[in-house]
Amino acid sequence: MKIKPVFYFLGTLLILFIMVPLCRMIFSVSPLEAGIAFVEKELISSIFLTLRASLWATLIALVLGIPLSFVLARHHFFGKKVIEGLIDIPVVIPHTAAGIALLMVWGRESVFTKITGISIPGTEAAVSIGMLFVSLPFLVNSAKEGFKMIDVRYEKTAVSLGASQWKAFTSVSLPMAKKSIVSGSIMMWARGISEFGAVVILAYHPMTAPVLIFERFQNFGLEYAAPATVVLILVTLVIFVVLRAVGDKQ
Amino acid sequence: MIKLDRVFKNYGDFQIQDLSLEVGPGEYFVILGPSGAGKTLLLEMMAGLEAPDSGKIMGLERRRIGLIYQDYMLFPHMNVYENIAYGLTIRKEDKQKIKTQVEAVSKQLGIADLLSRKITTLSGGEKQRAAIARAMVMRPEVYLLDEPTAALDLSTKTQIQRLILELHKKDRPTVIHVTHDFEEALAMGDRIGLLFSGQLVQNDTPEKVFNHPVSKKAADFLGYKNVFSGHIESHTMSINGIDITAPVEKADKAYIAVRSNDIILSKKKLESSARNAFPGRVVKSIKRTNHVEVIVDIGVWLYVDITYQSYHEMKLRPDARIWAIFKTQAVKVFLH
Repeated sequence: MKIKPVFYFLGTLLILFIMVPLCRMIFSVSPLEAGIAFVEKELISSIFLTLRASLWATLIALVLGIPLSFVLARHHFFGKKVIEGLIDIPVVIPHTAAGIALLMVWGRESVFTKITGISIPGTEAAVSIGMLFVSLPFLVNSAKEGFKMIDVRYEKTAVSLGASQWKAFTSVSLPMAKKSIVSGSIMMWARGISEFGAVVILAYHPMTAPVLIFERFQNFGLEYAAPATVVLILVTLVIFVVLRAVGDKQ
Repeated sequence: MIKLDRVFKNYGDFQIQDLSLEVGPGEYFVILGPSGAGKTLLLEMMAGLEAPDSGKIMGLERRRIGLIYQDYMLFPHMNVYENIAYGLTIRKEDKQKIKTQVEAVSKQLGIADLLSRKITTLSGGEKQRAAIARAMVMRPEVYLLDEPTAALDLSTKTQIQRLILELHKKDRPTVIHVTHDFEEALAMGDRIGLLFSGQLVQNDTPEKVFNHPVSKKAADFLGYKNVFSGHIESHTMSINGIDITAPVEKADKAYIAVRSNDIILSKKKLESSARNAFPGRVVKSIKRTNHVEVIVDIGVWLYVDITYQSYHEMKLRPDARIWAIFKTQAVKVFLH
C-alpha cells in the first residue's frame, strides 16, 4: 500500500475533528444573530479586553523572556534543567490550579497587596497576570530554540569586527532569531486569548470573552452563548490568519 | 610579535595544554592538526573571544584582528554590502566613506557585482570572498583564519588559497591559519605548528615538518601511508623477509615511514642509485581525485600514488608484476 493516501486520509480525520465543531458552531447561528452580536457592546468590549490583556502579557514576556531564553540557549549552569522544567510547569498543571496559586500571591490577602496597598484581583492587570503565567512557555521555549539554532560563531564574528556583546546581540542574535520570537509571540498571544481557567479565578470581572461565553452558557444556555462564540471564533481566526500570512512573508 | 606563553584551557572534556608559540610580524603561520585538536579554540583565544585558564597571550591586545571561519558566518539577515560594511558601521564611520571602502575591497576581491545580493544566493567561493572582504575592510594587522577553504570544492579552494596568498604578499599582515589539510599547510605556510590533542608537538618550517615527522601519529597525519615498525641494524630494517635500507645506522625500536609519492613503480628492475628496490605484485588500484593509489605487495603492502597518465600507460591490472623503488633519503625514521 502506498504511504501517501494513507497519511492523507489519517491527517484529514484530524482536520475534520477540528473543522466540524467549528463549522457546526458557525452555521448554527443565523447571519442576523451574528450581526447583532457583532455590534453588542458588552461582547465587543470583552473581546477587546481579551486581546489587549493578552498583548500586555506577551509584551511583558518579551521583555523578561527573551533575556531568559538567550541565557538558557547559550549558557550551561547548575540547575539549568530545573529552570527549564519550571518554565514548562504552566503547560502541565490544570489552569484552575494555576489561578488559585496566583491568587495566593496576587490576591486581596496577599503580601503584595498588604505592602503596596494595590488590589489586583478583578482588574485588567489580573487578567494579564493569569494569561502571562499560563502562556509564557510558548514564547520562552520558541525563542530559546531560535537562539539555539544560531551558531555562536556569528556572535563571535560580530565581536571580532568590533561589536560589543550588546551590539552583537541586538544586531546579530536578535534579528537572526526573529522568526522564532515572532512565532512564539503569536502563539503566546493566542494562548493568552483562549485562557479561561486561571483568568476566571483571578478576575471574573472585567469579563474576558471566554469568561463571558461561559457565563452566558451557564446562565442562559447554548442558544444564548452561541452568537458570542461565533464572533470570538471569527475575530481570532481573522487575526491569526493575517498574522501567519505576514509572518510567512517575512 | 605574537606570543603565547604556557597557555592552558579546559573546554568541556577537551584541553589546550601548556602551549607556547611565537609568531613574527608578517609571518604566515599554519597550525595543522586533525579535527578536534583544539585549533578553533586556540584561534578564538587569540581573537580574545575565549580566555585562557592560565598562561598569557601577548601581542594581540588592541590590534585589529580579522577572524574568518570555515563556514563564512556571513549574517544571513544582511545582504553582501551590509555584511562587508558591518564593522565600519559599528565604528560609526561616515556613510560615504563606508561605501567607498566597501566598494574598493569588493572590487579587489572580485565581488563588486554581488553587493546587493542576499547571502543565500551566493556560491561557496563567493561567500568566502565576502567573508574575507568583511574582515579586510577593517584593515586587520592580524588575520586569524579557521579552515578558510575546508567547505569549498577543489577548484574554488585553489582560487581562495591563491587569493589569500596574494593578499598576504601585498600587505604583509601576520596570518595565523588553522587547517587539517597538510597539502594546504605545505603550500601556504612560512612555518607550520603541528597540533594534536591540544598540544603543539612540532613547530618548524614546512620542509622540516614534512620530512622529519616527530611521531608515528604525525607521520600518519602527514600522509605517510607506509609506516613500519621494527629494529634497525646496519642501516637495515627487516620486515616480513624484506630488507629496507634506512638513513639511520642503528635503532632498537623505531618507525620508518615512506610517503606514497616518493615511491617509483617500474615494470623492470632499474639500474639506479636507489637503495630500495623490491619486486612485487599489484594488489589493487584505487582511483582518487587527482591520482591513483596503487597497493603493491612486496612482502608487505606498499601504498604508491601515481598519476592517471602513468596508470594508463603502465596498464596496472591486479596481479601484474611490478618493481617498487625508493631512495634511502625517502625513508624517514623516528623513534618510539
